[in-house]
Amino acid sequence: MIRVQQKAFDAGAEQQALLQGRSDIGAVVSFTGLVRDFNERPDVRALTLEHYAGMTERALEAIVEDAESRWSLQGVRLIHRVGCLEPGDPIVLVVVASAHRRSAFEACDFIMDYLKTRAPFWKKEHTASGNYWVAERSSDHQDAARWEEECNN
Amino acid sequence: MVDVADKVESQREAVASGRIRMHPETLALLADGELPKGDVLATARIAGIQAAKRTPELIPLCHALPLSKVAIEFRLDEPSSSVEVSATCRLNGRTGVEMEALTAVSVACLTLYDMCKAVDKDMEIGEIRLESKTGGKSGDYRRQAVSSPIVTGASRHADPGLALATAEPTVHIKCLAELRERLGVSDLDIPFDTLESADIAGLKAALIATDARFAGLNEGRVLCAVNQVMGGDQTPLTDGDEVAFFPPVTGG
Repeated sequence: MIRVQQKAFDAGAEQQALLQGRSDIGAVVSFTGLVRDFNERPDVRALTLEHYAGMTERALEAIVEDAESRWSLQGVRLIHRVGCLEPGDPIVLVVVASAHRRSAFEACDFIMDYLKTRAPFWKKEHTASGNYWVAERSSDHQDAARWEEECNN
Repeated sequence: MVDVADKVESQREAVASGRIRMHPETLALLADGELPKGDVLATARIAGIQAAKRTPELIPLCHALPLSKVAIEFRLDEPSSSVEVSATCRLNGRTGVEMEALTAVSVACLTLYDMCKAVDKDMEIGEIRLESKTGGKSGDYRRQAVSSPIVTGASRHADPGLALATAEPTVHIKCLAELRERLGVSDLDIPFDTLESADIAGLKAALIATDARFAGLNEGRVLCAVNQVMGGDQTPLTDGDEVAFFPPVTGG
């Protein structure tokens, strides 16, 4: 299940909903990304997340499908927020359920790496010294490239 | 009226703001103090303060409050040709002072209208709202600043990529996020037959031919998507396609 929304989410409730009535799931891994109060500059007061509606949902679906083809998964929940957020607010949630822990850990890691480099979201940070669009990080691309190397082996 | 006898006394403050738009000539007369009725801002300030003190006479269920402070401020905003009014009300007491601040702003705006109406009848009062509120049981409130649009990419066509049968062959272009701000363009349609070749490279060349700003499409890392799927310079285009240009993504 994929959602792009303005309002906050409850990671615990989402995980419970994913596990509801299931006894075949042996492992569940949940990742929550939060807004930091420092990034490229200190004193980040707020953050605006813009996205390309339509393409965002397609891109997230493609990432989840890719994960499901690489690992045997029994459920995925992916929520990404857009709009105005403040430090401490949750931005993104990935919950992955599988029969075994390794698949759940790896698939969760993979989904975040691909989301950061392939889903059309853009962050604008608002700080005491002005507003700016966040630049891409080469480390995010290196992280995403790990999965392609492993695939080729 | 709500019985507030059992509520704890606390320091409460509310800030409200409003705006009156007028002709630029009116604003200039106001700034130079040349309006026939005299000192506009001083009069409106006194009117706002008086109004805050008389709020319970106007708003039926409001309590009469011993306000400890009422301050009215004006800012002349030339770009939007308007006067921004803000009112701050403070009190040590059992009930909030937002109605007092809102009333003060409203009456200050009305007084501005009255003082200027001899030269301008088109003035418009608006955007009267609570900016912040502190103290009291319901907690602090601060209006969220309105920032840039959250969703700029929503398709205008239910089915991107599907041409409208009757319309001239067209490609729909979107610039998103930092690129939109850098180029100053959000949405644009371009006739399909102006493309130098039926692909992204041809579209970029056609855009640069119409406006030199689009040279920015070839500067730094600019990504593109055709019908919401990532593409590149060689991605072919057809009539009705939606093409989005954007900077590298930074979600998560």
